[in-house]
Amino acid sequence: MSSDHSRITRRTVLRGIGVTMALPWLESISVSGDEPATGGAPQALPKRFAALFMGNGISPKNWSAQGSGADMELSQTLQPLAPLKTKLNVITGLFNKNATGVGIHPGQTGNILSGAPLQKGAVLRGGISMDQVLASRLGEETPQSSLVLGCEQPITGYHETNFSMAYSSHISWQDADSPVPMEVYPSLAFDSLFDNQGSKRTQSILDRVQEHAAHFNRLVSRADQRKLDEYLTSVRALEKQIERTRTMKSKADDRAENKGRRAITLPRPDNGLPEDIREHMRLMCDVIALAFQTDKTRVATLLMCRDLSGLFYPFLDVRLAHHPASHDDNSDAYERVSRYYVSQLAYLASRLAAMPEGESTVLDNSCLLFISNLWSGSQHDSGKVPVLLAGGLGGTLATGRVLDYTDRGDENRRLCSLYLSILDRMNVKLDKFGDSATQLEGL
Amino acid sequence: MPRFLFLCCVAFATGAGTTNAAEPPENTTSDSALEADFVKVVQPFLKSYCFACHGDKKQEAKLDLSGYTSLSEVVANHRVWDTVLERLQAAEMPPEKASNQPTALARTAVIQWVEALRDHEALRNAGDPGAVLGRRLSHAEFDYTIRDLTGVDIRPTREFPVDPANEAGFDNSGESLTMSPALVRKYLAAARHIADHVVLKPQGFVFAPHPAVTDTDRDKYCVHRIIAFYDRHNVDYADYFLAAWRFQHRAALGIPQTSLSEIAIKAHLSGKYLATIWSIVNEPETAAGPLGEVQADWRKLLVPDDQETAQRVAEVKRDCERLRDKVVILRKKFAPHLDKMHVPGISDGSQPFVLWRNRQLARQRMRYVPSADSKEEVDSALEAALARFCQYFPDVFYVSDRAPYFDPKAANSGRLLTAGFHLMQGYFRDDEPLRELVLDKAAQHELDVLWLELNYVTLAPNRQYKDFIFFERAEPPRFMQEALFDFARSEDKAATSEAKIQQLSEAHLAKARKIGAGAQALEAIEEYYANISADIRWIEQARRDAEPSHLAALVKFAERAWRRPLALSEEEEVLTFYHMLREKDELSHEDAIRDSVASIILSPRFCFRLDRAEAGEASRPLSGYALASRLSYFLWSSMPDTELLAHAAAGDLNQPEVLVAQTRRMLGDERIWRLATEFAGNYLDFRRFEEHNAVDRERFAGFTNELRQAMYEEPLRFFVNIVSQNRSVLDLLYGDYTFVNPILAKHYGMSIAEEDADRWIRVDQAHRFGRGGLLPMAVFLTKNSPGLRTSPVKRGYWVVRRLLGEHIPAPPPEVPELPKDEAKLGELTLPQVLARHREHRVCAGCHQRFDAIGLVFEGYGPIGERRDQDLGGRPVETKATFPDGSEGAGLDGLQRYLHEKREEQFIDNLCRKLFTFALGRSLVTSDRSTIATTRTRLAADGHRFGSLVETIVLSPQFLNKRGRDDPRD
Repeated sequence: MSSDHSRITRRTVLRGIGVTMALPWLESISVSGDEPATGGAPQALPKRFAALFMGNGISPKNWSAQGSGADMELSQTLQPLAPLKTKLNVITGLFNKNATGVGIHPGQTGNILSGAPLQKGAVLRGGISMDQVLASRLGEETPQSSLVLGCEQPITGYHETNFSMAYSSHISWQDADSPVPMEVYPSLAFDSLFDNQGSKRTQSILDRVQEHAAHFNRLVSRADQRKLDEYLTSVRALEKQIERTRTMKSKADDRAENKGRRAITLPRPDNGLPEDIREHMRLMCDVIALAFQTDKTRVATLLMCRDLSGLFYPFLDVRLAHHPASHDDNSDAYERVSRYYVSQLAYLASRLAAMPEGESTVLDNSCLLFISNLWSGSQHDSGKVPVLLAGGLGGTLATGRVLDYTDRGDENRRLCSLYLSILDRMNVKLDKFGDSATQLEGL
Repeated sequence: MPRFLFLCCVAFATGAGTTNAAEPPENTTSDSALEADFVKVVQPFLKSYCFACHGDKKQEAKLDLSGYTSLSEVVANHRVWDTVLERLQAAEMPPEKASNQPTALARTAVIQWVEALRDHEALRNAGDPGAVLGRRLSHAEFDYTIRDLTGVDIRPTREFPVDPANEAGFDNSGESLTMSPALVRKYLAAARHIADHVVLKPQGFVFAPHPAVTDTDRDKYCVHRIIAFYDRHNVDYADYFLAAWRFQHRAALGIPQTSLSEIAIKAHLSGKYLATIWSIVNEPETAAGPLGEVQADWRKLLVPDDQETAQRVAEVKRDCERLRDKVVILRKKFAPHLDKMHVPGISDGSQPFVLWRNRQLARQRMRYVPSADSKEEVDSALEAALARFCQYFPDVFYVSDRAPYFDPKAANSGRLLTAGFHLMQGYFRDDEPLRELVLDKAAQHELDVLWLELNYVTLAPNRQYKDFIFFERAEPPRFMQEALFDFARSEDKAATSEAKIQQLSEAHLAKARKIGAGAQALEAIEEYYANISADIRWIEQARRDAEPSHLAALVKFAERAWRRPLALSEEEEVLTFYHMLREKDELSHEDAIRDSVASIILSPRFCFRLDRAEAGEASRPLSGYALASRLSYFLWSSMPDTELLAHAAAGDLNQPEVLVAQTRRMLGDERIWRLATEFAGNYLDFRRFEEHNAVDRERFAGFTNELRQAMYEEPLRFFVNIVSQNRSVLDLLYGDYTFVNPILAKHYGMSIAEEDADRWIRVDQAHRFGRGGLLPMAVFLTKNSPGLRTSPVKRGYWVVRRLLGEHIPAPPPEVPELPKDEAKLGELTLPQVLARHREHRVCAGCHQRFDAIGLVFEGYGPIGERRDQDLGGRPVETKATFPDGSEGAGLDGLQRYLHEKREEQFIDNLCRKLFTFALGRSLVTSDRSTIATTRTRLAADGHRFGSLVETIVLSPQFLNKRGRDDPRD
């Protein structure tokens, strides 16, 4: 079998160095829809989840929404989402109990998707994040269990609170002890998806193991050969399962290409990162969009900037770096920064909305979460955090709403309740997650 | 093939012939005679007396005897026929209730036929090693092997489904261990998980106790090793003063011959530093200043007292501690002190400044630094003495937990070895006094390597430098805010290149000069760039240089994982695979090593136990390596260690004396706990007791997880003791001792001395507490009680089934359940209820074989606690009539009955079980004589466990393997 199933290889891309930043979208693959699964009813369209994180809070006085559906009124910072009002939920008042009362910055961040208490000092300890729970439950369905991306390098020194800055730098945690290694290079993120690196590595190992077994087979008794056969058969069966997933994906890619659409022209910056953060973030959103569209993965997180971020925004005419700028969060400058981040959500959501999938779109089958660790950067206030959701998650999540939990009491405004609700709608049934045992009421 | 091995096997067979009571008769019976008798005698008997219940219409106890139409079918199912024989001999079948009963003569004829067939088969197959199926490692073996292979306890199978057990109750045979795609998926994930623990070093690789893929995990691994190194070195002055005192008074303390270095070793102190202290306190002239005070105080320590030595030592120890405290206080006066470097426009926390100050302080730890506010006159003699005082008693030996630069009082904040920056990563080594005063050459080297490896493994300098760029550009006072610094970006892969570091260095210095930084500050900045660049270059070079050593380590790893030397082609395969991953799959070096490690673990050469078979039909001795594995998986449930493999390599492992010596060595090793867990745990059915949840914890509040754990450990410790002390296996039944920890002692009503408050001890004359041996252990009494009552049925069944190996069919499905709570039995006691149950003939056949045995345990409640009354308030009755009609009560009564009537059965069963476990297969007819020999030798050797094991490992079954083309396979 050729190792080169995917027509959208890095090489293709490199050959077609395009100037366009935007991708001419493939028709969504809807693997199970177009291609009747052998001997079974077509499966439901896959549901996807992505979290987009921005550190240091938003511009509070410019963050609000009223009304519902197409009539929703959005404040200035939320304006980029105007075309997506009906696909949107603006949620205020949620908080993470364990991110309060622990001092500022890292202690308010490392558990944003886990709700777990964090440990100070040299030994990291938190909890598995909800995206990784999804990845571990849904990961076998796709070539890659999740995409964990970032636009800013992690730092791991200590903050004055004695929390490691690793907590400020990672929102996805594979278990209590370790963050998921984060990919900051769009080119490498792209390669891992479209060279099928995950499954290719598995395949190489399985091939190797089969060679061993075959070699061994000649040296052992007939009875032992039967035992060995049992192993070989099992290895082969596993390989077939993986193969099947891969083949379906690349067939879908081919179909799209045959319908006259050009292959993706995603420039692959070879040397470090794109100089301009705008380009960097957009490429990362493109990778997520592409991954969702082609069902390479159903779970993604993007740390657009970390907490205590050192990113610069000359194109917004902001002189200070992100973190110092956030200390003046009611300034026009920081409003522009916040709005810029909201526009990334708008970009990704509108891309997904433009991808037809069955009767709906990929956005309709997804849930995009925009979140920050703080409400006000100058107050370092984690008593409530800004939350935006885009997408209907396969019809399980009503949209076009403004939900305010601020006055519902702490028990009823937990972030982890929101996560339980999302997990549940993605068929991951948990009794509790983080500090919550109930789903978010009224979602 | 070595000749002596054959001789050994022959001797074995002959030995069996002369001493064996169950010696097979001469092979006068022929196949045809047996076949004829089967048709003439056996079949008509079955038809008349058995088919009604065990035929094609009805299969009581799931037994159908109607299908046997030929001799070969009987041979193929010999275990069924062993049961038939057992029942006929015991005259239990046909049951009393059956109207049609055979004559004694007819019964005997069938019995004799089965016996004759069995003997015939045993002789025909004499010396047959049997079919030991290849198999995957059991989950327990997988975990133990990974532990021995990697040196860390990863337990990759924790989430695997439980392995099925074979007929004998063990999960280590090919009969029960199967494979499925779902399991392969788990194997793959496990192999990956193990490979994630790999840490590449400048020479070779090791496995960390946790995954080491992320930066933070690598940091944790490297930092922990350095901290652990520091912790291993005692730098408490009090201990050194005391040790010097001991040496001074060695004669009076009764150790006149001891040397200073021996004292150091015994007290876990540095010989080097003790020698220094010794020479200081013994200087002929008392020095000036604090050093003189120390010398004088030490010399004033009390001399040993003849009568009360221990007390005197304790007093001196306290004085030494006081002297230590004094030294610490005196030394504080001269502690190095240095203000932060400050340049307006540059952060005090800027890396060059923080590191510069750290370096200055580190250099002064062994130097005399006059205190700033001191007005004292210091003459030259005093100054010299102060310099020596400060040199020998450093400010600190090492800094393991440095405070951040902005808050020097915040030490012990858990930042460990870090340099003290704000937000930025970076380590700083500050342990010169330890290195110079305490460590010998080898330890110095070890510590130097640990620090180099920290940089190598974690890329700490590279990360530190990238954080530096972030900090200086983004955080106040934003020294690098001008556009000329824009080229410096943390995210730029080339940021750490020599050229870019140089570029930033120049820009940095230019601006610093411009804003008026002094010479010292400029020097600090210059040094910073030079040092960090050198560190980063070293890592680059070291990483390039290390690759060949990683490949060599990979080959070594494969060899150990596969438990034998690699053929040249196999070695090449390992390397070819690595290169394929690099070149074709475009993996990084590290990923390619990890995937290679995963493939080595997933290979059947690792996760299967398959012995190479020789061509042809004939059985042949196992190769030395196969024998080493068989031995180590028998005794340790894991891979052979270096010594076993060395014998395999030398080709002498199959020499009986070497094999026995190795066996004895292994029985004395710690790893024998695994035999206790895997063999005894399954043989006695308590392997999963750690998960036992049938106890009503409201009713039995004393049953905590700790007590459950202690109950679980008791038989393990008992068994390990028998094995490691080579005691009689009869101790299992009659030993008047057991092992307890405080929590179990309390449960048993035993009092524990204070010094035993946190350990396990052996308790003798355990009968005083109603304990001793396996029978009254709480673990079995609890496991065989359904919650709120005891179960004489289950307890008795456990004794006859597990200990005595009696085969008892499953109960018919329609039997009513007893109430779960014995308080709800109504007027009857449990024994009375059971007696009524036995009035049913259907039930009696089986129950009379174990009820009575269970009843003697009625003096123990549902969690094995001793009691006089049951939960319904009725006095307990422990009297019973045993299956042979004799009577007895309680533990004593049962032990007497077992000793008189059932001991042989117990031993026979133990031999069979251990033999089955050792071979990893069920027993076959040809094993009968070996079992008999084993029993004879065991009896001749005082029933010592070691002789049982030795007989097994010397048996032809253990030493040989069927040929590849054996028609019986």
